[in-house]
Amino acid sequence: MGFLHHTFSDIYTRQDNWLTKTDVRIKLLYIVLLLTINLWSQNIFVSLLFLPVSFLLLLLIKIPIMAMLRSMLLPVSFAILILFIKGLHEGEKEWLSFSFVGYKVILKEEGLRSGLHTCSKVLGGISIVIIFSFTTSISQLCAGLKWFRLPNTIIELLSFIYRYVFILLDEASTMWTAQKSRLGHASWKKVIKSFGTLAGMLIIRAFERAERTNEAMQVRGYEGGGILTINLPPWRKQEYASVLGLALILPILIYIGSMQIW
Amino acid sequence: MGFFVLGRGQLRRVIIIFSIVFVFLLFTSQHAIYAMHITEGILPPRWVFTWFAVSMPFVGIGIYHIKRKKKIVPSYLPLVGMLGAAVFVFSCFPIPVIALNGMTTSHPCGTGMSAVLLGPFVSVVVAAIALLIQALFLAHGGLTTLGGNIFSMGILGSFSGYFAFKIAQRCRLSLFWCGFLAGMISDLFTYLGTSIELGLLVINKGGSFFKATAEIFAVFMMTSQGILCIVEGVVVGLALLFIYKRKPSILLHLGVIKNDTKPIRA
Repeated sequence: MGFLHHTFSDIYTRQDNWLTKTDVRIKLLYIVLLLTINLWSQNIFVSLLFLPVSFLLLLLIKIPIMAMLRSMLLPVSFAILILFIKGLHEGEKEWLSFSFVGYKVILKEEGLRSGLHTCSKVLGGISIVIIFSFTTSISQLCAGLKWFRLPNTIIELLSFIYRYVFILLDEASTMWTAQKSRLGHASWKKVIKSFGTLAGMLIIRAFERAERTNEAMQVRGYEGGGILTINLPPWRKQEYASVLGLALILPILIYIGSMQIW
Repeated sequence: MGFFVLGRGQLRRVIIIFSIVFVFLLFTSQHAIYAMHITEGILPPRWVFTWFAVSMPFVGIGIYHIKRKKKIVPSYLPLVGMLGAAVFVFSCFPIPVIALNGMTTSHPCGTGMSAVLLGPFVSVVVAAIALLIQALFLAHGGLTTLGGNIFSMGILGSFSGYFAFKIAQRCRLSLFWCGFLAGMISDLFTYLGTSIELGLLVINKGGSFFKATAEIFAVFMMTSQGILCIVEGVVVGLALLFIYKRKPSILLHLGVIKNDTKPIRA
């Protein structure tokens, strides 16, 4: 159960570097616009450009390469699945055919071409997202989303859920270890029964904790209004320069992305 | 014109290597198969907008429900947040895939459980937040595919689970079986939703939507998720039964049961 603590990429957001110090609003602007370009690009080059740039930037701020690869593993496996689905279903021109357990598999050229285009978009998109996730904490994200006028309820719930996920994860982990050490995982039947008990206990603990948290919040003056008080400072020269940089990069990326080269 | 810079023979080798890597990832990962969320970059722009347009009204209604309830009961927000966190942790349980003799693990959706405890609209909001956290901090799912994932996991998962639970209650089934049906059906519908979204990608490109959807759904069911649906159903049923035995006031408070519900032993 403890693996999630290591999998969450925000453990690197506490590092002191120029990317973690960059204003969250700028990062959100970049991520949204670059993801849009990645989505609309007509060729693989723009999307594939994001991959080395992202890796380079993350290596510069000393993010372990294994952490980056771990983040990319699942999206890449999904992308390969899509490559096969498209190769099997799209187009007419046969490129490769073989028999697999009595089922004739025909991979088509148009489908594989389209599948590879999708794979490049997956790599590009994930490269953009991991830069954001490795350098932005949840409190920064909430402050940024608040600035962009996202509903307060969503932001408050996001901060609540994120804060208590780790506490409940620790509790679940302790119970999991206790079950395991008392032969609660000795057979499939026992494993499933132990999971049921664990899930039930987790809900009970969450309910009790919610009551305690509410009491604590009321003591501090909470009456059902907003709970977030973080306000971002006005933009400085650096932020304006970053927006200007984005305005300069965007037309170039849009131009390259619109070329029908591949 | 050649399809690649690589020659035909080289490309064939690349594809064979890719298949081996994929099969390896699918069957031997020691952590988890996270197959239920569509990853970043998979959906083309028109489907990105379509799924966002479909999902946002449900999220909006969910927010309205939470806001209205928060005004009447100030403790509602911490309650939803805490139960949302618990369901998130529940959805991270590494359940061994029995069909593959425990070689790998998968994870439950959790939306069936959250829909039963919080109601379908609030469950959609909780699922949307969980998906956002997963997309940003676990690279699982994506931001452009968030709408599609909310549709499959949040909307289809929550509503199917909720209605399965309510129908089972109407049929006077015991609490375990009500929970079992909610967990299993929400899982099945989540995978069906993902399969439909992926199947729709082959439309207008000479492919058959129904064939693609059926094949994707069959792959999900045959690899690990078919058994997982049943396991999630059993776990949700046992969890509700456990809560009922230890703290029935929680289920009464959340409106999950009335006093006349008859539980049976698993």
